[in-house]
Amino acid sequence: MKTVVVAERTRGALRRVSLEIAAKASSFGDTEVIAVKGDRYSPMAWSSAVAEKAKDADLILVGATPSGRDLGARVAAKLGRAYAADCTDLAAKDGALEAKRPMYAGKIRATVKLPSPAVISIRPGAWTLPAGTAAPQVIEIDPAADDPRITFDRFEATASGGKRVSLAEARAIVSGGRGLKGPENWKIVEELADALGAAIGASRAVTDAGWRPNEEQVGQTGKTVTPDLYVALGISGAIQHLAGMTSSKVIVAVNKDPDADIFKIADYGVVGDLFEFVPAFTEAVKKVKGTN
Amino acid sequence: MRFLVCLKQVPDSTVKVKVGAGGKAVATEGITWSMSPYDEYAVELALERKDADPTTVVSVVTVGSARGRDALRQALAMGCDDATLVNAPEDLPALDVAKALAAVAKEMKPDIVLCGKQASDDDQGLVGPAVAEFLGWPHVGMLTKAVSSGDAWELWREVEGGHEVWKAKPPVVGLVHKSDKEPRYPSLPGIMKAKKKEIPEKDLASLGVTASSPKIEVAAMDLPPQRGGGKIFKLDGDAKAVAEQVANLLHTESKVL
Repeated sequence: MKTVVVAERTRGALRRVSLEIAAKASSFGDTEVIAVKGDRYSPMAWSSAVAEKAKDADLILVGATPSGRDLGARVAAKLGRAYAADCTDLAAKDGALEAKRPMYAGKIRATVKLPSPAVISIRPGAWTLPAGTAAPQVIEIDPAADDPRITFDRFEATASGGKRVSLAEARAIVSGGRGLKGPENWKIVEELADALGAAIGASRAVTDAGWRPNEEQVGQTGKTVTPDLYVALGISGAIQHLAGMTSSKVIVAVNKDPDADIFKIADYGVVGDLFEFVPAFTEAVKKVKGTN
Repeated sequence: MRFLVCLKQVPDSTVKVKVGAGGKAVATEGITWSMSPYDEYAVELALERKDADPTTVVSVVTVGSARGRDALRQALAMGCDDATLVNAPEDLPALDVAKALAAVAKEMKPDIVLCGKQASDDDQGLVGPAVAEFLGWPHVGMLTKAVSSGDAWELWREVEGGHEVWKAKPPVVGLVHKSDKEPRYPSLPGIMKAKKKEIPEKDLASLGVTASSPKIEVAAMDLPPQRGGGKIFKLDGDAKAVAEQVANLLHTESKVL
């Protein structure tokens, strides 16, 4: 199966998800890894360039990041290909493809069949990157001419400013909810996240209240995440939130209410005052990490 | 200024989804259906423009079975001006759905087409970019804000760490991630008015669309593994001891630390 991997960069470096896909892709057959030059994704210019370069491929793979999914969908439309988004696994069988993917915001796991040629986006972290994998050879392609009707004007940074790892690719996430009582109390969330090397998430209640930026929202209408460790602080566990994080490998929940739904899916639950527990937990994490 | 918002009716997000008898679709008996949440944001985003400029017309359209009328009525009750139902089988391939929506857009000639960034049932996110592709229009994804500025629009795209602001001259397609405000509830007069509105129907043939695109087929569905049986600790003035115990378990038992 002739395969083209469309790699994505962030601040000049290949994204981890692109490395994960490139490492796995050769198992599907002849593989080329391509990347569009430039660091600002532009749907028309990039999809035209990718479609032209990959039009003979049986399989086009992209990372299921917001830009990757956007690009993959437009390329699939341009080439009239079958498309499956946010897949957690993929196998080729008798010239057709079988993919695993979440549906209903993660409440359902589906196995889907689609004909080749196809475009597939792969969820970050779905394919683990074997240690010592060499960086792939990347073929750089030029974007097509941009459509004159649309131009990038400026970047507006949010207050928290993207200093941390992205939620989608984070191996650990600390999320805060209403139980934090106010945006001024996020310092203890940040300190724990720093100790864990984690990204920061939030419940919808908290982003709706304007305590935290929307981009941190985990759950349905926010981000679906699958880190190794998810720490939920003061989050009761609405069904929409649970759908977005229930596939995390290990879940730690801290909540005052012993009947909170979050405890039904937690591996380790702490019933009590998070303002007491979290600073102590941050110290304990530092201690364990220090002796690793 | 005219908006065309593309909608899909899906199981309500509060529904505890179960796999149906055949194992290839979710059980739909007795469940509540709603407009997909991202589509609701798209409607809200368009109606906010109409609030600012009452001459703005907001049209809505859905492609699918007659059940989708309820979602269209919901949009009308929220304040949209007109609604169109394109009759089509529920299993119409997504690219053909997009072709039908693009054909409706060509007839209506809106300045901006809005779609939710993905429907909350299949979570594919294919239809929106495909509508833009079939129209030959630019699109902006992860849209959270649309502000008119002169003869152009400022379209805010959420990215890591902030927003990219794109300037677009209509026509353009926006794939909505969120609206500034929460989607409004239909008002009682709005509901009464929506009940009286006719919802014209179109069929695929009249739009020049046949079911011809490659199809993705669900072979099996199951629920994520049930979690539970976790270790629960009650804090009782011993935060440090419990914190150390949990941290040690993360290290020795689950090996994520």
